[in-house]
Amino acid sequence: MKITIKYILILMLFFIACKEKYISPVTSPITGYLVVEGAINSGLGATNIILSRTAGLQIQNIVYEKGAIVKVEGEDNTIKQLTEVSDGNYTISGLNLNANKKYRLNITTKDGKVYLSDFSSIIYNPPIDSVNWKRENGSVQMYVNTHDDTNNTQYYQWETSETWEIHSGYLSALKYKQTNSAKGTVYSVDYSDSINKSIDYGKYYCWKTVPSSQILTGTTVALSKNIINLPIANIPQDSWKLNVLYSLFTRQLSISKGKYEFLQRMKKNTEGTGSIFDAQPSDLNGNLHCVSNSNEPVIGYIDVCNVQEKRIFISRTQVPDWNYYQGCNEIRITNNSDSIQIHGLYLLPTYPETNPMTGAIISFFAAPPECVDCRLRGSNIKPSFWP
Amino acid sequence: MKQLFVFLSLLFIVTTAKAQTDTSAKVDIHVQNGSLYDIIQQIEKQSEFQFFFDTNQLTKETINYSQNKISIGSLLNTIFMPKNLFFSIDQQAHIFLSYGVNLVTQITNDYFFGKINPLPVLVTDTSFLSNEEITTQATLTDKKIYEIGEKAQAGQHPIVTIAGYLKDVKTGEPVAGASIYIDQPRIGVTSDQNGYYSISLPKGKHILNVQSLGMRDIKRQVVLYSDGKMNMEAISSIMSLKKVVISSQKMSNVRGTIMGVQKLDIKSVKQVPVVFGEADVLRAVTTLPGVKTVGEASTGLNIRGGASDQNLILFNDATIFNPTHFFGMFSAFNPELINNIELYKSSIPANFGGRLSSVLDINSREGNKKEYTGSAGIGLLTSRVNLEGPIIKDKSSFILGGRSTYSNWLFDLLPEQYKNSKADFYDVNFIVNHQIDKNNTLYFTTYLSKDHFNLNSDTAYGYSNKNVAVKWKHIFNNKLNATFAVGNDQYAYEINSQHLPVSAYQVGFDINQSYLRANFNYNYNSKHSFEYGFSSLYYLLHPGTFEPLGAKSLVVRDVINAEKAAESALYLTDHYTISSKLKLDAGLRLSMFNSLGAQNVNIYPAGVPRTAESILKTVSYADGKIVKTYGGPEYRLGLRYVIDETLSLKAGYNTQQQFIHSLSNTTAMAPTDIWKLSDPNIKPQTGDQISLGIYKNLKSNTIETSFEVYYKNINNYLDYKSGAVLVMNHHIETDVIETKGKAYGAELLVKKIAGKLNGWISYTWSKVLLKMDDPTAGDIINHGNYYPSNYDKPIDVTIVANYKFSHRFSISMNGNYSTGRPITLPIGVFSYGGSMRTLYADRNAYRIPDYFRTDFSMNIEGNHKVHQLTHNSWSIGVYNLTGRKNPYSVYYVSENGAVNGYKLSIFGNAIPYINLNIAFK
Repeated sequence: MKITIKYILILMLFFIACKEKYISPVTSPITGYLVVEGAINSGLGATNIILSRTAGLQIQNIVYEKGAIVKVEGEDNTIKQLTEVSDGNYTISGLNLNANKKYRLNITTKDGKVYLSDFSSIIYNPPIDSVNWKRENGSVQMYVNTHDDTNNTQYYQWETSETWEIHSGYLSALKYKQTNSAKGTVYSVDYSDSINKSIDYGKYYCWKTVPSSQILTGTTVALSKNIINLPIANIPQDSWKLNVLYSLFTRQLSISKGKYEFLQRMKKNTEGTGSIFDAQPSDLNGNLHCVSNSNEPVIGYIDVCNVQEKRIFISRTQVPDWNYYQGCNEIRITNNSDSIQIHGLYLLPTYPETNPMTGAIISFFAAPPECVDCRLRGSNIKPSFWP
Repeated sequence: MKQLFVFLSLLFIVTTAKAQTDTSAKVDIHVQNGSLYDIIQQIEKQSEFQFFFDTNQLTKETINYSQNKISIGSLLNTIFMPKNLFFSIDQQAHIFLSYGVNLVTQITNDYFFGKINPLPVLVTDTSFLSNEEITTQATLTDKKIYEIGEKAQAGQHPIVTIAGYLKDVKTGEPVAGASIYIDQPRIGVTSDQNGYYSISLPKGKHILNVQSLGMRDIKRQVVLYSDGKMNMEAISSIMSLKKVVISSQKMSNVRGTIMGVQKLDIKSVKQVPVVFGEADVLRAVTTLPGVKTVGEASTGLNIRGGASDQNLILFNDATIFNPTHFFGMFSAFNPELINNIELYKSSIPANFGGRLSSVLDINSREGNKKEYTGSAGIGLLTSRVNLEGPIIKDKSSFILGGRSTYSNWLFDLLPEQYKNSKADFYDVNFIVNHQIDKNNTLYFTTYLSKDHFNLNSDTAYGYSNKNVAVKWKHIFNNKLNATFAVGNDQYAYEINSQHLPVSAYQVGFDINQSYLRANFNYNYNSKHSFEYGFSSLYYLLHPGTFEPLGAKSLVVRDVINAEKAAESALYLTDHYTISSKLKLDAGLRLSMFNSLGAQNVNIYPAGVPRTAESILKTVSYADGKIVKTYGGPEYRLGLRYVIDETLSLKAGYNTQQQFIHSLSNTTAMAPTDIWKLSDPNIKPQTGDQISLGIYKNLKSNTIETSFEVYYKNINNYLDYKSGAVLVMNHHIETDVIETKGKAYGAELLVKKIAGKLNGWISYTWSKVLLKMDDPTAGDIINHGNYYPSNYDKPIDVTIVANYKFSHRFSISMNGNYSTGRPITLPIGVFSYGGSMRTLYADRNAYRIPDYFRTDFSMNIEGNHKVHQLTHNSWSIGVYNLTGRKNPYSVYYVSENGAVNGYKLSIFGNAIPYINLNIAFK
């Protein structure tokens, strides 16, 4: 229901327009406004609040706000304090809040300033009916389905996170060995596991998890029934994400109209620009305020709901004609230092050819590192939810 | 000079002596290697006529002439007149020769023409029709003297009025906007859109000059006795065919009272090189001083700091709400049907109203009344066909024009994902005019334009303009004529999306206005002429319908109540010639706007920002009930002081009101912009402007220069709150804020209108600032300080030049430089939602890089043989010759978690084009 004509312009750009990188000639003023992201989870699940600071344009790293005291306050004066689990990440689980009370966030930063969000009542959040998918123009399109017969909830936000299993192009049992002598460095290959001479599956099985970098929202305001059926994620055709097994984790938050509008504005400012008919960038006033200085901008909008979660899996076997190939090639290299230096240093060894008599490695196969060591593309620690 | 004194004194010698004054008397003339003087001597010998002249004024050239029994009258006409020797004869058989004619008319016309038998010489040659209409022949060197009115009435009143039509001799089309004037004393008028003119002159003998765009100058000698009619036929500058004459009335630059009026004829429009070679009316207008656009993908005009909705765009009296095609790349006017364009940007005549900034009055041609002709054009993206011809020969004609695009081939060149995209547009004009009799003419105009585009069969957009107008021109008498116009204008757009069956929808918007207008021109006397009338408009606007599409759709039908309103105006302008040097146009327009029921009006508490939550109550009004009335007087003043023939000063002051607003929070004019009528919660926009100008013509009026300065106030201009929702908003007043604005600037225009090299240079310096400092209305913008508007481009220079190598080959070039427009740049970044995001602060605090572009085109005409079936011409050109990547916008976007800045150019390189035009009979 987005009425945007952005796409036309993308199209226009395609045949005549031209887009170039732009480096702002403007030196950003020092801002350092507090940015508060997250929501209070009234249920048993985790409440995650991330605190950071705005920074100059040229800075591309997140400036986290460390060492703050973050509390969930009820109007009945109940106080629950969050703990900082990593830089700027504050969390607490099992709040189980009283549905008849209002709650707010109270933040005291290291510099002693106090920030408060407006009191919010708990917004009912219906469970996710399903997250389903279908093939669309070759890609895999996922949809979230929710309904609320009570019609208490009209605005939703979803946070998604994708995880997929990665297999290396080649199994590997070998590694390079490097010895320094007076003549210089001498290279050879050896088994990774010199005792069992077995395949190193630690380089073969990996997983990658990527949280969505888009703000996903939806509303049923214009619909006759409180039914949500919205696209939330897409796997492009023949993407590596579905080489083996793919999983999408969806957190559904019911949000207030205020937060919905706040997110819409942020979205327009940062995702929806660049076309010819774009709207003007707008301010981002949320529901947080600095107690000691009401003019200090604070970015963020905190309200309270019972967060609903859903995880689905899609296996490559469910998706016919998925033509992902990593496109790897192996070459054979003789196991001597010169050959390895010339041909092999930018590759990783996979499997040996041995002298059947001695078991010594005469030559071996090698392939580009990303075809051999999956850790270059993910982590070899299997996520707990993985089947 | 001695002879002159003799001549003058002679005029006052009253004698009753009767003498033979018959110029039909025959004489025998034989002159070999002689002079005019020899001819004069022979006439004097053979008749009683005596000549009086200044010997210096006789040409010295050698004359060979031999003729027996020739009348003195025809001698005078054939030999003396072509040498610009005018003659007058009195009862004493004195023939006064004078170089030029002004000697006579300056003195006691009454005496001269009242008592003395005028000019019997000419009787045989003149259509001597006292009460009948005279149609002068279409010759340029017409030496006839046209007598107008009845001699019997002579002497009753010193001032008489003549009126008539000015037409193109070849096509029978009216010649609009021509200056019709005499030099002594200086009196002039302009022909109206129908070629009609009416001028009050002192009785007696005058040379009537006619100058017009694309027409050769006409001089007519007239002798006025009493009120009469005279139609004139003008010859178009056929030798130059096209693209020679530049746009403006040669003398009217200095003479006219109206300030800041710019006139372009279609020939100059066509010579401005444009993208894809589509001659574009609105693009040509942007080359004029004080006219800007936000960028290349927008034909929304910002005139003297006005928003694009503050321009009244009229096509033959019909209001065109969206004058663009193809996402704003082209204007929606078929150049082949257009005769001229007038842009009023400082003094807006009182007969126009309802918009703050300007009036762009586009007039179509009339069809050929003599024969069937047509033309066709083939370009890269569009082609067009026009047909015209008589319905009843010399009485009525039609013109039918259509354009369509075949731009879809462009989409086929694109990658797979765009293959299903489509963009179509077309426009059709059908114009009929019928001359019922000499006092009544009917005009009928229909206009239809339609755009449709979709991308990947997902969301489809469409919009259309539909206009019908009927105009009746009636001439009551020479002093009074009137036009009555009635019509209906419509604009609608529609968006639909079927991608997700559950939420498949269709959004619609339309505006419909019906009008009745009457305009009277009353030429009271040579000092005062009045223009007065009324205008009545009825609006019916459907702000939005949101409907389900398809059986599966769960979309709830949502309809925002229709808006209705009436806008009425009464106006009067006095064109007052205070002296030959000083002229005043004083206009008053009384406008009234009634917002009508049925309507539900939300009442908000005073002093706090309006939000949906703060609605106190909603009051319902019944159908047809007046909900709210706005209005008041608007003043339109123009003053001109002529210092000398080529130099004048002008001043103007006017006030305006606007009751209809376009809502758009995009920088450019987008097809999805909606219109909103004023209601109890949305006040009308008001504005006033004061301007001063100095006008100077150089090199015998072939170079026109003007310099104007202005200062303008704008009130209640609508800007938007952060995150405003404009589509399907039931209480739009909660999302808009009223801002104040001011604009000021200086404009310089130098125009060379004749010669092989012609063109113009315009330079504009201007500022447009807005301010929102009322905290009770919403969040104040930029701390309540003035901030530049989106289209504030302080410096703008345009050069349009055309060089004609021959009648068949010419080149055109234009260059444009302007300051970059303001944008809101991010001042920082932060992380949210898994991505780096941008932090914005002050609105429009920065500017995109400056803009510079040059274009080039060549126009090649086929051969000029008159008798052939088709005439072909080619135009070949390059848009953005230097390939400069002019930034349209600069923006920052979060991509894969990081913030990247981009500079977007609409045309990233040089765009060549070719166009073929075929005219056929």
